[in-house]
Amino acid sequence: MATPTIPIPDHVEGAFDETQPPKFRGTYLEKVHGWVVTVDHKKIGLMYISYALIFLLVAGAEALAIRVQLARPENTAISPLVYNRIFTMHGTTMVFLVGMPILFGFGNYLIPLMIGARDMAFPRLNAFSFWISAFAGILLYYSFIGGLGLSGTGTAPDVGWFAYAPLTEKPFSPGHTVDYWAVSLLANGIGSIGTAINIIATIFSMRCKGMTLFRMPLLPWVYLTMSGLVLVAIGPLTAAQVMLLVDRYLGGHFFDTQMGGSSILWAHFFWIFGHPEVYILVLPAFAFANEIIPVFSRKAIFGYPAMVAATVGIGFISLGVWAHHMFTIGMTSFGNAFFTLSTMLVSIPTGIKTFNWLATLWGGKIRFTTAMLFSVGFLFQWLIAGLTGIMLSVSAWDWQLHNSYFVVAHFHYVLVGGILFMIFAAIYYWFPKMTGRMLNERLGKWHFWLMLVGFHLTFDLMHVPGVLGMPRQIYTYQADRGWTVWNEFISLGGFIQGAAVLVLVYNMVHSYFRGAVAGPDPWDGWTLEWSTASPPPDYNFAVEPVVASRRPLWDLKHPEDPDSAVE
Amino acid sequence: MTTPIASSQDAKASHHERNSVHLPAPTPWPMLLALGFALVFAALVTSQGLAYLGLAIAVYAAIGWFRQVLPEEHVIHIEVETEVVAIQPSNRTVTRIDVDETHRAQLPLKTFTWISGVKGGIAGGIAMVIPAELYGLIRFHSLWYVVNLLGGAGVGDWTNPTMEQLTHFRLSAFITANIIQGVVTLLVGVLYGAMLPLWPKRPVLLGGIVAPVLWTGLLYGALNIVNPYLRGKIDWWSFAASQVLFGVVAGYTVSRLGDLKSLAQVPLAVRLGVESPGLEGGERDRGQRR
Repeated sequence: MATPTIPIPDHVEGAFDETQPPKFRGTYLEKVHGWVVTVDHKKIGLMYISYALIFLLVAGAEALAIRVQLARPENTAISPLVYNRIFTMHGTTMVFLVGMPILFGFGNYLIPLMIGARDMAFPRLNAFSFWISAFAGILLYYSFIGGLGLSGTGTAPDVGWFAYAPLTEKPFSPGHTVDYWAVSLLANGIGSIGTAINIIATIFSMRCKGMTLFRMPLLPWVYLTMSGLVLVAIGPLTAAQVMLLVDRYLGGHFFDTQMGGSSILWAHFFWIFGHPEVYILVLPAFAFANEIIPVFSRKAIFGYPAMVAATVGIGFISLGVWAHHMFTIGMTSFGNAFFTLSTMLVSIPTGIKTFNWLATLWGGKIRFTTAMLFSVGFLFQWLIAGLTGIMLSVSAWDWQLHNSYFVVAHFHYVLVGGILFMIFAAIYYWFPKMTGRMLNERLGKWHFWLMLVGFHLTFDLMHVPGVLGMPRQIYTYQADRGWTVWNEFISLGGFIQGAAVLVLVYNMVHSYFRGAVAGPDPWDGWTLEWSTASPPPDYNFAVEPVVASRRPLWDLKHPEDPDSAVE
Repeated sequence: MTTPIASSQDAKASHHERNSVHLPAPTPWPMLLALGFALVFAALVTSQGLAYLGLAIAVYAAIGWFRQVLPEEHVIHIEVETEVVAIQPSNRTVTRIDVDETHRAQLPLKTFTWISGVKGGIAGGIAMVIPAELYGLIRFHSLWYVVNLLGGAGVGDWTNPTMEQLTHFRLSAFITANIIQGVVTLLVGVLYGAMLPLWPKRPVLLGGIVAPVLWTGLLYGALNIVNPYLRGKIDWWSFAASQVLFGVVAGYTVSRLGDLKSLAQVPLAVRLGVESPGLEGGERDRGQRR
């Protein structure tokens, strides 16, 4: 063991080491085999992320197909039946095959590194969870070939990503299209629950010495909350899917309105899953912001305890707001009032987070790397998304705008402007750790600005046709509705975003082979993942770290002013 | 560098122990079990034969998985080459601002007690009833008009009530109105107690007039969308007068009950929470001035 060149405080000794990973020099098949049989959290995390990025391209192409169809009035670029399949698959893919896997991927990769562990608590369950999710995604897309049965022409699900009853009942959706949707998401849910259990167990039982819960970085805190939500929310969806299959194959009538069933029952089950799902997706985006903004502001996160409390608060409140998706279905005035107020309540912990991020930026020495640019974009866009969310939480307002493009614009502000922007930020921030290579910053800036322009062109303008009455999921429209010019620009923005994503893809491939060598700590970070090699060795840390504060690397870099002296 | 797979028992006797780490051995069983399950699911929508195949794979993989972890978990040993990185201290040294111990305290250093906010809310809540009831009595000769307008928001089966209904007593509306009035005025009173010390000069002007007028305007605009019928029934001048009266009375009560120096007397930078030693320090600065 070499002697360190600076005195390391006793209580943090061993927190920082660099071990060169062993060079794997096998054949191509051996490499593939190595990935298939791996139980290493880092490789599984990378497989999750790669799998999600592939589906991101697929779902992005579907989005562009939708925009081509809607760019002109009375357009017939694609048939109505294909259009229904494409918007269904776009939504389903983005939520289940892009959003959740990529966030689980980052969690898998980062949580053990951040808490000073060598792997997840259940490495084999981790591999199983990934593979069952991956096979579920493949099964869903196999529906394009086998949807009506092997002998049929084949078609994908076409009932919208929320698959409302009674449209999903056998008389209205014959063949197997709906079954593919239900069965594949059911399988996907098994993987999600497995990963959630793993994350919770890892965080509670695998933290390194000295890392109390309140010394843990905020990212594991957020993933802990998110995993709790997964455990609660996936169950109702799975139950509803089983009930749907019972309806379709075993003569059940849960959602069969003509036989005493209730289509509203489906809506309740789906949205009891569906709204926590929004927070399952957005909480990790918050987690990335919690890590990236302080590092590039050169300040510790403002209000750590408040951030933890807000995260857990969001988790709890988000379980009680689902029926704001159902204002137009018809509820009692008590129901309307309750879900209006509970939805508004979410804005309190969310506002705390926003103020704390701003307070972290305030007075900081800000470095506008690409990761930071995406984070700042996220802050602004998340605020707008929250404001339109509050507007829609008012039941009377929602009655006017529900199922319009205003709602589409709102949730794309959340999913793209919030979550996707932070996923991009996370890619730029942790790509050097994962690959040992830096992403090209110039290409990154191109990516950011194209994405920003495309995003605002698309989703700012999309609010307008919504207010003008353009319904969601509409196939086409007449030229005299006043929606044409808006849709032209919206589609243009979509293609600009597509170009931005292609820049990212090129940057990732190019930088993986030719990027600058990153070194263990390219951003001058403070959390434990930056204390080991890039990419980390199989065992993460040669010496198990011992920490004495929330920023163990700060302590090492600033022995004159360690956090451990004041925490 | 990896070594051949061995059980953890073997590992304990290994001479690598001191310089190696034991990690779970790679295994195909999780992938195969997932494949088996996926095929069973796929069989539901394709062919029964796939179910048998999937089940066979799943059982085979489950047995393999058990054998992977029982009786001893299979692990691999990876040799560790440790080298402590020469950590360079950051170029940016930390500079502490030389101020007294109170420099991190966010002003105001003191605030009103919460009970003064509660009392202000009660006083304002009673006062604001006066112009509202005056309007109801003069215009409709009824005490219950404004009560029903406020309480009707929470009475589910009362949609678009007639003028006759609005001017007569209704128990459910009465209870709802009292709850709304009580809760909101108390909360806003407490809010005043917390916020008035933060506001610059003439807090009663801002809290008593500007804020209520802005609130009235916001409500006027929003009700046009949320409930146009209700907006049409409200007399907005008397509504605004009620709000202003609440603000003035609550603000005055809170200010009188508390005994705080107004922050308007300190520089803007300090009011904004900017660390500005020398402008308004703690005891040390004041001591120097003396």
